[in-house]
Amino acid sequence: MEIKLKEEVLKDQNKAAAFNRKLFQDSRTLVINIMSSPGAGKTTLLEATVKALAPEYKIGVIEGDLATERDADRLRALGVDTVQINTVGGCHLDARMIAKKLPEFDLDKTDILFIENIGNLVCPSGYDLGQHFKVVVLSVPEGNDKIPKYPIMFRRTDITLINKIDLLPYVPFNLLEAAEDLKSINPEALFKPVSALTGDGMGEWTGWIREVYQTCLSR
Amino acid sequence: MHELSLMAELIKLVSEDAHHRGIIKVSKIDVIVGDLSNVLPEALEEAFVYLRPRVEAPFDEKTELHIIREEARAECRSCGTEFVPDYRIAFCPVCRLPTSELQSGETFRVESYEGCDEDGN
Ligand SMILES: Nc1nc2c(ncn2[C@@H]2O[C@H](COP(=O)(O)OP(=O)(O)OP(=O)(O)O)[C@@H](O)[C@H]2O)c(=O)[nH]1
Ligand SMILES: [Mg+2]
Ligand SMILES: [Zn+2]
Repeated sequence: MEIKLKEEVLKDQNKAAAFNRKLFQDSRTLVINIMSSPGAGKTTLLEATVKALAPEYKIGVIEGDLATERDADRLRALGVDTVQINTVGGCHLDARMIAKKLPEFDLDKTDILFIENIGNLVCPSGYDLGQHFKVVVLSVPEGNDKIPKYPIMFRRTDITLINKIDLLPYVPFNLLEAAEDLKSINPEALFKPVSALTGDGMGEWTGWIREVYQTCLSR
Repeated sequence: MHELSLMAELIKLVSEDAHHRGIIKVSKIDVIVGDLSNVLPEALEEAFVYLRPRVEAPFDEKTELHIIREEARAECRSCGTEFVPDYRIAFCPVCRLPTSELQSGETFRVESYEGCDEDGN
């Protein structure tokens, strides 16, 4: 006999994402999923972001890495509740991994939860974690051709942060071309150049977080 | 990519459904893979061949995987042109504006499967 199943392969993962989303809504927690290739500066960006926002918001972080607690320790050093997920070879975080770790947070008291995904510009784009927003960080030394080369990631994210703009004088990276490419792939996406190291542009980014915190949670 | 874990997910999905229906043997699975789904058909096929003898019934050496490719198609909201997009997914080749919406190409779905129950049906 033939069975017309018509079911998404990631059905279970997507159910877990819906479950997370409901928890985040009920507990009024703004959740931001940060993705990039290895070393683009996710953790450095988070350190700077947490420093800027900690006086106003109670922040939590989930750190995804293949191995080690190193990134989690960097954030714990700033006094932020941080839970590390080690995927031991897994190339992305999925919603079930997140769901398992959520009981370790007091979500009712958490205003903003950042999730640092595994360093990878392909796989994490396919997994909804139940977040409100997805952010991709592209760093200047990687080159602006990464936007057209990895269109699926840039298509599925709400903001592209161009990090390490302090290096613009030393490495070829065409900001205008990057903005144009992004527009042709994902016209609604925001484009924000920053330097997590020097703080340049960081006010724009944290300003955006404050803004979406208001609009998302007042709904 | 991670086609091995996607394949394991697919096998679990079909196994569970087959179990509910009392199907003891699955002979063929039809799966739709969109060109923009980030899933590589070749790698999916390899993962299937690797896993097939290693998982329990209702799968066996003879179970076939049939991959149906779904082409990426976009339609421009300004002028209505339908086209196969290049990497500039939202970019209309006629208006030259980023005003297009994707109609297909992101699917990754088990469409159907064939199997039989204890009575051979
Ligand atoms: N020049 C410069 N260097 C930066 C900037 N942001 C991060 N870095 C450096 O880039 C390197 C990688 O930064 P991380 O923050 O660890 O990158 P990551 O994306 O978290 O890396 P993984 O978690 O391993 O994927 C470190 O040496 C940082 O000091 C920046 O804005 N400018
Ligand atoms: Mg990191
Ligand atoms: Zn058009």
